[in-house]
Amino acid sequence: MFEIEIDGKLVNAEAGEKLIEVTDRVGISVPRFCYHEKLSVAANCRMCLVDVEGAPKPQPACSTPVSEGMKVSTQNEKAKSAQKSVMEFLLINHPLDCPICDQGGECELQDVAMSYGSNVSRFNEGKRVIADSNIGALIHTDMTRCIHCTRCVRFGTEIAGIMEMGGTGRGESLKIEPFLNEGIQSELSGNMIDVCPVGALTSKPFRYELRSWQMNSTESIARHDLVGSNINVQTYKGKVKRIVARSNDSVNETWISDRDRFSYEGLSHSNRLLKPQVKFDGTWKEVSWEVALDFCVKGLLRSAGESNSMNSLGVLASKTATLEEYYLLQKLVSELGCENIDYRLGVKDTKNTINLESNVKLSDLEKIDHALIVGSYTRLEQPMINHRLRKAALRGGTVDVINSMQFDFNLALNNENIIIPCEIANLLASTLKVVLESTNQDVPEELNKLTITKSATKIAKKLLSSDASVIVLGEHVINNDNAKNISNLVAMLAKNTNSSTLNLSKTGNSIAADIAGFFPGKDGLDVNSMLGKDMNAYIMFDVYPEYDFHNSSTAIKALSDKNSFIVSMNSFYNNNVADYSDVMLPISSYYETSGTHVNIEGEFQTFAASVKAPQESKPAWKVIKVLADLLDISGFNYSDSSNVLEEAKHNIKQGHRAEESINITDTNSVEVIWQPSPYSIDALLRHSDSLQETKIGQINKATMNSSTAKHLNLGDKDDYLGVPVVISSLVANNCVFINANKSTPSEEQA
Amino acid sequence: MISNKAKKEINSWVEKYPEGRQSSAVMEALKIVQSENGNSLTTELIQEVADYLDMPGIAAQEVATFYENYNHSPMAKNVIRVCHNISCMLNGSDELITHLESKTGVKTGEVTQDGNICVKKVECLGACVGAPMLQIDDKYYEHLTLEKVDAIIDGLKEGK
Amino acid sequence: MNEVCFKNIDKKEPWSLSTYEASGGYSVWRKILKGELSPENIIDELKASGLRGRGGAGFPTGLKWSFMPRNSDIQKYVVCNSDEGEPGTCKDRDILRFNPHSVIEGMAIGGYVMKASVGYNYIRGEFMEPFYRFEAALKEAYKTGLLGKNISGSSVSFDLYTHLGAGAYICGEETALIESLEGKKGQPRFKPPFPANVGLYGKPTTVNNTESFASVPEILAKGGKWFHDLGVKNSGGCKLFSVTGHVKRPANFEVPMGIPFKDLLDMAGGIRDGRKLKAVIPGGSSTPVLTADEALAMNMDYDSIENAGSMLGAGSVIVMDDSTCMVKTLTRLAHFYYDESCGQCTPCREGTGWLYRILKRIMDGDGKSGDLDLLNNVGSNILGNTICALGDAAAMPVESFLRNFSEEFEYYIENGKSMVKDNV
Ligand SMILES: Cc1cc2nc3c(=O)[nH]c(=O)nc-3n(C[C@H](O)[C@H](O)[C@H](O)COP(=O)(O)O)c2cc1C
Ligand code: SF4
Ligand code: FES
Repeated sequence: MFEIEIDGKLVNAEAGEKLIEVTDRVGISVPRFCYHEKLSVAANCRMCLVDVEGAPKPQPACSTPVSEGMKVSTQNEKAKSAQKSVMEFLLINHPLDCPICDQGGECELQDVAMSYGSNVSRFNEGKRVIADSNIGALIHTDMTRCIHCTRCVRFGTEIAGIMEMGGTGRGESLKIEPFLNEGIQSELSGNMIDVCPVGALTSKPFRYELRSWQMNSTESIARHDLVGSNINVQTYKGKVKRIVARSNDSVNETWISDRDRFSYEGLSHSNRLLKPQVKFDGTWKEVSWEVALDFCVKGLLRSAGESNSMNSLGVLASKTATLEEYYLLQKLVSELGCENIDYRLGVKDTKNTINLESNVKLSDLEKIDHALIVGSYTRLEQPMINHRLRKAALRGGTVDVINSMQFDFNLALNNENIIIPCEIANLLASTLKVVLESTNQDVPEELNKLTITKSATKIAKKLLSSDASVIVLGEHVINNDNAKNISNLVAMLAKNTNSSTLNLSKTGNSIAADIAGFFPGKDGLDVNSMLGKDMNAYIMFDVYPEYDFHNSSTAIKALSDKNSFIVSMNSFYNNNVADYSDVMLPISSYYETSGTHVNIEGEFQTFAASVKAPQESKPAWKVIKVLADLLDISGFNYSDSSNVLEEAKHNIKQGHRAEESINITDTNSVEVIWQPSPYSIDALLRHSDSLQETKIGQINKATMNSSTAKHLNLGDKDDYLGVPVVISSLVANNCVFINANKSTPSEEQA
Repeated sequence: MISNKAKKEINSWVEKYPEGRQSSAVMEALKIVQSENGNSLTTELIQEVADYLDMPGIAAQEVATFYENYNHSPMAKNVIRVCHNISCMLNGSDELITHLESKTGVKTGEVTQDGNICVKKVECLGACVGAPMLQIDDKYYEHLTLEKVDAIIDGLKEGK
Repeated sequence: MNEVCFKNIDKKEPWSLSTYEASGGYSVWRKILKGELSPENIIDELKASGLRGRGGAGFPTGLKWSFMPRNSDIQKYVVCNSDEGEPGTCKDRDILRFNPHSVIEGMAIGGYVMKASVGYNYIRGEFMEPFYRFEAALKEAYKTGLLGKNISGSSVSFDLYTHLGAGAYICGEETALIESLEGKKGQPRFKPPFPANVGLYGKPTTVNNTESFASVPEILAKGGKWFHDLGVKNSGGCKLFSVTGHVKRPANFEVPMGIPFKDLLDMAGGIRDGRKLKAVIPGGSSTPVLTADEALAMNMDYDSIENAGSMLGAGSVIVMDDSTCMVKTLTRLAHFYYDESCGQCTPCREGTGWLYRILKRIMDGDGKSGDLDLLNNVGSNILGNTICALGDAAAMPVESFLRNFSEEFEYYIENGKSMVKDNV
């Protein structure tokens, strides 16, 4: 730490810092375009030139390291005239079309030009015009406005991990563009819009809609993954118009995934459920809330029968509800005496599934020196977590994976094990054996007969030799026949190698569901048992059966065949729901209600509603509250969702801890991993047209190698479980990896 | 498609650089592929070179469009590159260029109908003591006069 | 004359190993391999020789070599800059063609001094004849056991490779050259960090010009003092001057520093018959132009040329007689920098095009009265504000042409044609 002088003021600086970091810290404003605190320094715009005493030329503040005794002027004649010169050069070929530019009002060029520009143009030579090409569904380009700061290019190579934008040509004809006509493909591409200081890259879905100053902005939380990225939701006349990243270094830094940025489009989809409806004699009638709720209450009470028991009520919810919604619904039905509650609709066998704690902070994830990823393509499934892992890898950390298919990771893999799902538990067990043996511990009997493989030794060595390692367990194993074993093995491996763990299998807001106690009570039924029984009634919370259930046709059949009374609360209309339900209550979607998301760190992130729920739809927590009132259940007089949160926090439930045992079973047949494609994981995403148009949105394939295909008697023009077959050697033998933007399989899997 | 012969040649360049730095060979790789493809590059070829050297396509495209010596549209068999920078200009390169234009019947930068010749104006080729000068393939022709240029062109026409 | 880089130029096959060795070539290198010369020793001799970088900036070579971190074990590189592209400059091409072994030996010595076991010679893509010559010389050197790992049983290793450019003047700038060697666009890097700390592949690297490397073996063979005394104060030794333009016998001359310009002009046969000297660019197109009187009174060394108002640069003397239209000449130079700007930094990308367009407009007869002020102002707004010196190189000629030949520019603007009647 030493002192330097800036504009006559003495300020502290640290060796290695760049001048601009110091001026930013102490609030001295230095104009800049290419500098971005999360990207490498390019020093190409030259806007930040300042005068450093002793230097003959003005120096760029963004790339000049501080040194003891330095004297800097950001304002004197030399600095000002350099800045003015650069500003003029930036503007000579710029169209100055602010009135029709989407960036108008939030443009860094416009802002700086106000203070540093001159209002007479001395350039009379005809401006450069650049033709634009279509680079995909999410980003619109107006490259004539580009100031060649290369932030977007650096974003690609440094953050997204794939170089998509580049600068072609040279000199004046330098052009920022992607290669070929494939457009931009990264799952983080929307951040380029945020980093672009001008109107060259703008949001395509938002285009031409409005000016930034016309909109209201509310702080909110994105809920599509386990991170809960911080966002600003910009609205106009009660509609969400745009979503941009909000900085929070401990959560998402300044980035958000495309999923979080563009899903809002679904809010105004014509498929929204907007009015309460009741089924009379097999036909749907729009009714008032009073009538609909009255119908619900009566139906539910009737279903309790003479014994007045709610034992035969089932309550199911998707993974995307708020903590408050889970809590209230759970409270309501427990008050009624019902314990049949579940949100794990996609789990084949809730007794055999993952139960693993996460115990590493997101911001520490980038400091780990080794990661073992099991059953996850983190890049597309949890983009912001993958970003942290990538940062760790760039810092020299290593990454091993155990997966059933080779994925296109954007970080260097140290050791990639591609094995069939049923071998995963074996490999982990044999790894554990190596770990225990090499740390001179007793090896449990179950592991004794295991032979130690080379891969196991490698994986173990790496975990043992790392100081800060993490084991990441992903969604691909939730329905593995050995899911529980895998979960236990990971926990034991972590314990014995001093690794932390990250459970990525509980996506959406599942952690909140656990905290709220949204799982079967002691004598309650889990989802699969309910479906197997003759339940008299169901309350279904934002469930879309063909996507949410592990085996959708069985589920739909169970729900339709039996003569149960079914109340569905949904934000989107759904045919199957309409078929089996007796009442449909329109509820809020994302950004239309206040609530809380709990992220993988256990961080409660509460948000307010950004807009009102459209038409007659209502915030779901209020609907549940009114339902409770109508059912004469006391304790529901909340005036605000924050009261609900307070209460929920006092009643935090612990998810059940599974016993640590290992008992591995073998499978001989072809194994299927069904993983929804990244933009199909919830209803809002499925209704965002732009996202569906992207390459990622279009992913819909059942990938298998040629020998598996032969075994199943399939060719690459066939479908498997309704999904087009792709034959590729990237998948483990005897395994089909399905990445589908369609509903879950409708037949029992092979 | 990059031929095996070209791959072998590219490999001999890759060997010069440290392990993992094979993309250092991209400039030569592009030249090799270009000369196999009738003196010009296509996006497909650029992508193939990028794949071969394990680098992003756009990075190879950046290189292919930054340097002068790559062509992106069908190019003549013989490219006559005439220096028109200061020392050559002082020694009559402009007349030389006008002469070449009338001799070939096409403007600089254009390819003759038979695809044989294209005259390009280029910046200093580092042979200023031999001004005026021009380059065809690997060869420099210096101390030019209009007669010498005629002889060169006639030679090209005869396919020499 | 012709005592260092060109000392074998009149011999038969001057490029061959045998010719080179017959005149004492590789004697220094062999001494090093026998362990008879220490790096410190060599740096001292180089410092004493007064050798300044021949690539244009004139930075003392001995001092530059001493900047490389010598005690760490990480990989380091020496790189030879044979990208020669500055208009008027054509000496490195001849060194590569006629004395390639001096470059090899110079680079090997540099590698030894700076503990860099790998070297690259970056040759501009158009220099195919020099490239083949240099490659042949490399082959000879490897065959004779002068290069490789643990050369002739010593602990010294040095591998040397060529890299070819593909047509970009900017790659002569040393950090652009490094980028290009890494297989990227030739965009200069900002400094600091300097290549001596973060260079090729992120490793410490020293880049020197071909002539700088080629001078080293002879300096060490005959002693720093010997070389120094060939020249004058602050400009030790002899240097290659490329004399081109309106002279009778344009050529490269290796002459002692400090030689009067007049004598150099005479060596080149003087001005073409019936013509008078009008202007001289003494150091390559990016150095300020001088009037005939200024040039005729000047000696060819760093200080004298600076006193005359220009720079020695790469020693590329462009001679113009009274048939030269200065407007056209400046326009051509402006076009060059406009064409060759890499495009990454704002003042150069936007400013070089602006300069060229104003000049082009004047040439087209559409000049306006404020144009000369505008040209000067745009030039000075580029100057000093760019990442690399290409911006300065584009701006400096403008200022000097307008200052020394203003009436020609004014005439052109007013009359829409050149003041010089039979201009070429
Ligand atoms: C635009 C530009 C072009 C340059 N071109 C060359 C060149 O062609 N050859 C060269 O040796 N140095 C060139 N230089 C200078 C190099 O950056 C560098 O200073 C030089 O190679 C160092 O070698 P030296 O110390 O031996 O002179 C150029 C510099 C600039 C700014
Ligand atoms: S498109 Fe935007 S971010 Fe990219 S270089 Fe241009 S101005 Fe910068
Ligand atoms: S912000 Fe410093 S040069 Fe662009």
